[in-house]
Amino acid sequence: MKLMRTTATLALLAAGTSLATGAQAATICFAFQDLETEFWVAGHKAITTTLTEAGHTVLEKNANEDANKQLEQVRDCIAQGVDGIIVIPQDGESAVTIVKEAQAADTPIAIFNRPPTDLSKGIIVVADNATIAEAATDYVIGEAMAKAPADAKLNAVIIVGDLGDPNAVGRRDGFMAAVAKQADRINVIEVASEWDAATALANLEAAVTANPQIDLMFTSSDFLFPTIRSVLEPRGMWKKAGEEGHIPLAGLDGDATACKLIKEGYVSATGVQDLYFEAESALNAILKAVEDGNAQANEVIPDPGFALTQANLAEREMDMWGCVLLAEGFLDQ
Amino acid sequence: MTASPVQRRPLSDRAADLFLSDYFILYMSLTFVAVLAPFLPTLVTPGNAVNVMSNMWPLLIVAIGQTFVLAIAGIDLSQGSVIAVTSVIGAALVTLVADPVVLSKAPLWGVMITENGGPLAGVTGGVFVAICVMIALAALIGLINGLAIAVLEMPAFMVTLVSMMTVSALAIYLTQSENIAQLPEGYVRLGKGDLVSVYFGVKDTSQLPRKEVFSLITYPMVIAVVMAIGAHILLNRTVFGRQVLAIGMNRKAAKISGVPVRRVIVLVFVVSSICAAIGGLLYSARLEAGRPTLGEGTFLLDVIGAAVIGGTSLFGGKAKILWTVFGVFFFVLLSSALSAMNLSAFQVDMVKGAVILGAALLDVLRTRIMRERTR
Repeated sequence: MKLMRTTATLALLAAGTSLATGAQAATICFAFQDLETEFWVAGHKAITTTLTEAGHTVLEKNANEDANKQLEQVRDCIAQGVDGIIVIPQDGESAVTIVKEAQAADTPIAIFNRPPTDLSKGIIVVADNATIAEAATDYVIGEAMAKAPADAKLNAVIIVGDLGDPNAVGRRDGFMAAVAKQADRINVIEVASEWDAATALANLEAAVTANPQIDLMFTSSDFLFPTIRSVLEPRGMWKKAGEEGHIPLAGLDGDATACKLIKEGYVSATGVQDLYFEAESALNAILKAVEDGNAQANEVIPDPGFALTQANLAEREMDMWGCVLLAEGFLDQ
Repeated sequence: MTASPVQRRPLSDRAADLFLSDYFILYMSLTFVAVLAPFLPTLVTPGNAVNVMSNMWPLLIVAIGQTFVLAIAGIDLSQGSVIAVTSVIGAALVTLVADPVVLSKAPLWGVMITENGGPLAGVTGGVFVAICVMIALAALIGLINGLAIAVLEMPAFMVTLVSMMTVSALAIYLTQSENIAQLPEGYVRLGKGDLVSVYFGVKDTSQLPRKEVFSLITYPMVIAVVMAIGAHILLNRTVFGRQVLAIGMNRKAAKISGVPVRRVIVLVFVVSSICAAIGGLLYSARLEAGRPTLGEGTFLLDVIGAAVIGGTSLFGGKAKILWTVFGVFFFVLLSSALSAMNLSAFQVDMVKGAVILGAALLDVLRTRIMRERTR
């Protein structure tokens, strides 16, 4: 395990070394919307650490979930003469505006993980959310159907993210694609979260009260697993695999909490975004654009991702960034 | 005949004159730039100046409305929510196309928005009509606030706090928290369109050569300047303005003197809401989307802070639009400088909070000095 962890760290550092030798020291503006989930915390750390260790200067701008503030911060970065910009935008619409602003000022820009609604402009690193979500959902549907009577209709809950975020749309599409394969057997219950734990809690409480029989559940982001637990546990519905009343649960992100819950048996599967691949791709692409003098670099870099399940846990555990962090004691901090 | 010797006034008196001057915040802003410029050269670059101006105009418009409310010793906490709801309604009216995946669950879907956009999409003069609707909606919210405060004599703080909560919730409900994008060019241009821009050639301090084209006169600038001049005349050159200040100084005395206190209070809150809507129009236009979360967070801190820094008294009766212009300028300049220092958003907010507290203390000090001078 330690070997795997060291390998992951070395991979990032090696990427940093190649960045340092590939381009002269650059000043990169890293504007992010907030760091409210494990994914963003880990992504922030990967980007800033790698850039700094490679000898580049990083100007960090936290917009505190305010799209207007983020636009002003990006403009400030442009005025400060940065060589390139990496943004985690508040949502897909503001990302379009920010990319337009940067490219109009001849500053290369990369969007990390949360893509603009228009994918044609800027360097966009994005997970194949639909495929990853479909794979994770396929697994829990299989598990739920295996233990249900042959003709039983199943209730499947999906906790949907903010549909202004293309990631949330892709994840919902993937879930629906998996459900469509068993359309006559599955009844879908959609719960809105708006990427907000309090909203998810209120809506999930209402959904579970209205539909006490839940056969499987998919959350569009792993950061909502604690919320799901707080709703299911008091109702006696938070059970490990093999226990009576266990609900097959799946998520998407691949964070440390999801890894822990999969290992404990509460969660059956989670779609994994390859955080380190995405961070490295964003950095390489932005520095290449700077080196090539290409201010209008437009490229979509897909992260194929995969689903970590109870079935492949032993082989693929350390391919998931959350399991690497878990092994480093992330949840003990 | 011999000239009488010029009597030199003591330094403390001249310092007090400067302190009480209408231009004190402007002098302070210029000093601030002069002191920081050697350490933060970015601060005096044309690019940064354009940013400061661009950030200043919408904030100024909202702060003008707040100035009227502060002048009657009130406060309007609902401005942010007015921005949110009017930006959503305005965008819903003119959006060119809407994605059913994103918006089909919104109550506005089918009623106002369809896959073909809003009812005014592509209609000649549609943007103008949408702006009129936004202003009318804002005026209605202001009217309700004003009536509750003036007629029912409820505290402005409580009324506008409740307005803030309910109107914000309404904005989020209408779109189920989604943004409404794909706005027409005519709408977006109001937020960031140039009337005159200046080309400085190619800048090569960054690794990539960069076009140096800077906005000089923009639509937001024209709108804000026209509104500031109009508001200045209204507050400082009309009977209505004098009535506003009289209410702020002493409401009972104003009433005894024949000032239509209730009507003036209602109108002040209507003005405040309309200013919020127009500021919100500029914010949503530059973000190219109607957003139900616009005006949330620390936005009100910026608005009230800018007005107070300018010299508008929290105790009422003392306000000038010119002060608000300088206050907004200083506030935006401060944000820009803190950003250039690469402080985090939290540190920036902490410094801003401290500066607003300092401004409130200065207000107390100014009031005391003026009182002593009039004795």
